[in-house]
This record gives sequence, structure tokens and C-alpha cells, in this order.
Amino acid sequence: MTTAPTVSASGLTVRYGGRPALDDVSLCLHEGVTGLLGPNGAGKTTLLRVLATAVPADRGSFTVLGHDPGTAAGRQEVRRLLGYLPQTPGFHPDFTAFAFVDYVAILKELTDRAGRHREVRRVLEAVGLSDVRARRIKRLSGGMRQRVALAAALVGDPRLLLLDEPTVGLDPEQRMRFREVIAEAGEGRTVLLSTHQTEDVAMLCHRVIVTAHGRLRFEGTPAELTARAAGRVWSSTERDPGARAGWRTGMGTFRNVGDPPKGAELLEPTLEDGYLLVLDGEPAEVASV
Amino acid sequence: MSAVADGCLRVPVLLPPVWRALPWRALGAAAGAGLAAAAVARLVPGGPDPAFALVLLRCAAVAFALGLAFLLDDPARHITAAVPTRRAVRTGLRMALAVPLAAVCWTVALLLIPGRTRPPAGDVTLEAAVLAALALTGAAAAVRCTDEPQPGAAVAVTSAAGTALALLLPERWALFVAAGSPDWAVAHQRWAALLALTVAAGTALLPEPLRRGPSLALRPPH
Repeated sequence: MTTAPTVSASGLTVRYGGRPALDDVSLCLHEGVTGLLGPNGAGKTTLLRVLATAVPADRGSFTVLGHDPGTAAGRQEVRRLLGYLPQTPGFHPDFTAFAFVDYVAILKELTDRAGRHREVRRVLEAVGLSDVRARRIKRLSGGMRQRVALAAALVGDPRLLLLDEPTVGLDPEQRMRFREVIAEAGEGRTVLLSTHQTEDVAMLCHRVIVTAHGRLRFEGTPAELTARAAGRVWSSTERDPGARAGWRTGMGTFRNVGDPPKGAELLEPTLEDGYLLVLDGEPAEVASV
Repeated sequence: MSAVADGCLRVPVLLPPVWRALPWRALGAAAGAGLAAAAVARLVPGGPDPAFALVLLRCAAVAFALGLAFLLDDPARHITAAVPTRRAVRTGLRMALAVPLAAVCWTVALLLIPGRTRPPAGDVTLEAAVLAALALTGAAAAVRCTDEPQPGAAVAVTSAAGTALALLLPERWALFVAAGSPDWAVAHQRWAALLALTVAAGTALLPEPLRRGPSLALRPPH
């Protein structure tokens, strides 16, 4: 992609008690939805919190549309450009959905009452909560609360949207609804979507980043990640001890990922297969920034 | 428009939701407990003696301070972590709303003590102000140094433990001295110094750090 990156980060490092949560991470984010995959403890949440300016990095720097959050004024400018959905969003339970998003809108400097209320109604409509906007948050289901948090992230039409595992704990219908909203949000915006769900990445993202142990292991398109597993997924009637990962499918055969034996019945790889191989010690493939 | 002027324009708009977001349950319970402690003076036939009246007022001050330890509890903290309205503004607003209420409660507590046995109002008010400032500074420190959205309970326990420890201070450092004691004036100079230190520390803790300090480096996000 030739357009200027929305986010440009270099050498981001964060340590907790001496253990690196982020280790020299450099990346660029462009317009569209970028997926951030990685196991628990890979540093996904820390990376999002650093980019959201919720936590400063120990080393390294980044800019958002040219603004450097390393100064108080720059951080303020960056915050004017972003929407952030944290991994564990909390709420004031006695607020209604409307009042809560309105509160966040005020904090995002939308001071004109009429315009702000229009914007709050717009985002609540976008996440499918128009009907329950007058209901107190404590009376909403977990999925609805998650959508309130997404509405709070979307309010103010941010240029950069950071979403930390937004589909965790949602049923398939709610996840589908979330995908619709995130796909729409990715048009004309930059979205970084941290997730464990490879199918979310396959369906939504034009780029994917894989992290493990605080380091970037892969950066490319979902097709490129899937291609890492080309010719390395096979079927067998018994579990193949040489496979790096293998499981019995619903059909009773085993799906194996790794280095197939000669003559193996090769299968079409998925993005998850590529992801598993990247995590399992494959050489890192990260574009230099 | 300057950032300060812009911030001032936002304050009236922010007041109603910040008012609603205050931890009313904890504040109300503390106010009730503090006023109940002071009201005991009205139940004592003939009024309490000066020493008991001082104990009642100190109990009220501790109760009010423990309530203020919850003032910065914000269950939505993570969602509002990345908004352009500075944390210092939000925290300042909470204090601006709650501190006058605490002052009213304290005044009522003072008035519940019969005038003839009431300890010097200025001095006990100084003690109450220090206890409140310590609790608020503890809350500000917890917000700055941890990710916990509701650190109030931990801050309250720490404040209570700190108060208990202060009761054990050796005589030459004593803070809680008896009414009429020759050390009363000196002790209240210590209280005044403690207030100045606490306010300075609390003010320094309000802004969000641009660089990570050692306290931030201890725990990973959950």
C-alpha cells in the first residue's frame, strides 16, 4: 500500500517486572482492518494499550497521523484521533446506554448538545442498540454491554480504532453483528483488531500481524499467512506423530499440520493452519519498518 | 482556543455525568457512619466529656476519610483511558463535587458536639482535612500506579491501617494527642506539615505520566 501509514511505531518495548511484554516491536498500520493474532501473553493487549496511550512504553516511539504521544500536547492530539475498546470494559451500571455513550462523547470533546446527541444515536444505531438505549447498563446482557463499549469507541468518528478482543464471549449471531460493524468501521479508517478468532481475521482483515512472547512473528496479508501452510496440512487415519499439531475431525480422520510424510493426502490450508505454524517456531516474517 | 479555555468550556457539560458517576454508595455510607459517630454525643446524658467528644469527632473524621478513599473509583476507567479530556480534569471535578459535601458533613458533625465540650474546631478540622487529604492522595496514587478501576477498598483499608499506626507513634511524634494536653499545639503543627506534604504529593500524582515509572512496571494487564 502506498498511502502514508496512520500509525508508525518503532522499537516499542514494555517490561513488567523485568519480563518483556513487548520486545522491540516496529510496525505500520494503514487504512483498513488489521488483525492482531497471538496466544495469551503474546503482548497484544499491551501493544493496544500503548497505541491507545493508556500506558507509556519503556522504549521506542510511535506516531499517529504524525502526532507524537511522547509529549502531553501530542498525546492529547493522538487521543482526539482514536477510539479504544479495552479487553475488560467496565461501565457505570446505573447509566443508560445512551447516557454512558453520551458521557464518553463529552470526554471526547463533543460539547455541542444537539450534535453530540445525534452522534450518540448514530453509533447506538450502528451497533444495533437503538431499541435499548434508555435501558440501564446493569439490565443489559453481556453482548449488549460489549456493544455499548464498541459504541463508546466509535463515538466521535475516530480515525484510528483499537479493538481488544471485542468478540470474546459473544454468541455467533452477536459476533456476526460485530463483524458487520467492524467491517463498516474499516472503510476510511484504520482498525487494529486484537483477537483469538482466526475466522474473524479471515473474514475482516486486509492485513494480519502475529505476535508471540512480545515479538512480531508475522506481518502480511491473510492470504500470505494461509500460504505459509500450503502443502503442510494433510489428512490421515491415525494421529501422525510427526505433526506439529493434529486433531481428530468430525469425519473421524485426523487433520495434521507440519511437515507431511511422502504421499500424504494434502488438504487445503486455512489461516489457522498458517497461524499455528508461525507460532510453532517458524522463522519470523516481518516487513522492516 | 487555548486548551485551558477549551477545558473550562467542557466543565459545565461534564458536571452532570461526573456527578452521577460518583461512588454514592460508599460516600453515603461513610457520611452516615461519620454523622452517627458524632450523633452519639447527643445520646450521652448531660453531654460527653471533652475527651470523649474528641474521640467521637476523630471517629467521624476517619469515617469521612474512608469514604473519600472511594472517590476516584471508576468502573469505566479502561474505556475512558484514551479520551482527550485529561484525567486531572476529571479527578479535579470529582473532588470539586465531593469535597464541599464532605465539608458540610464535617460541619454537621462539629455542631452535633455540644459547644461546651467541643474541642478547638480549627484544630480538629485540620486533623479531619489531613485524614481526607491522605485518603484522596492514596486514591490518586492507586489510580496512577495500578490498573485497578476501583481501588477504593484497598485504599480505605490502607488508610485505616495508617490511622491505627499513627495512634502508636511515640510521644514526641504523636499526632492524636488528648484535648488539653501540653503537646496539643506542637501536634497540630505536625498535622499542618503533614497536610502540606500530602497536598503536594496529591497534586504531583494527578497528571498522567508520559514515561513509565517503576510502579507501572510491576504488573501486566489482566
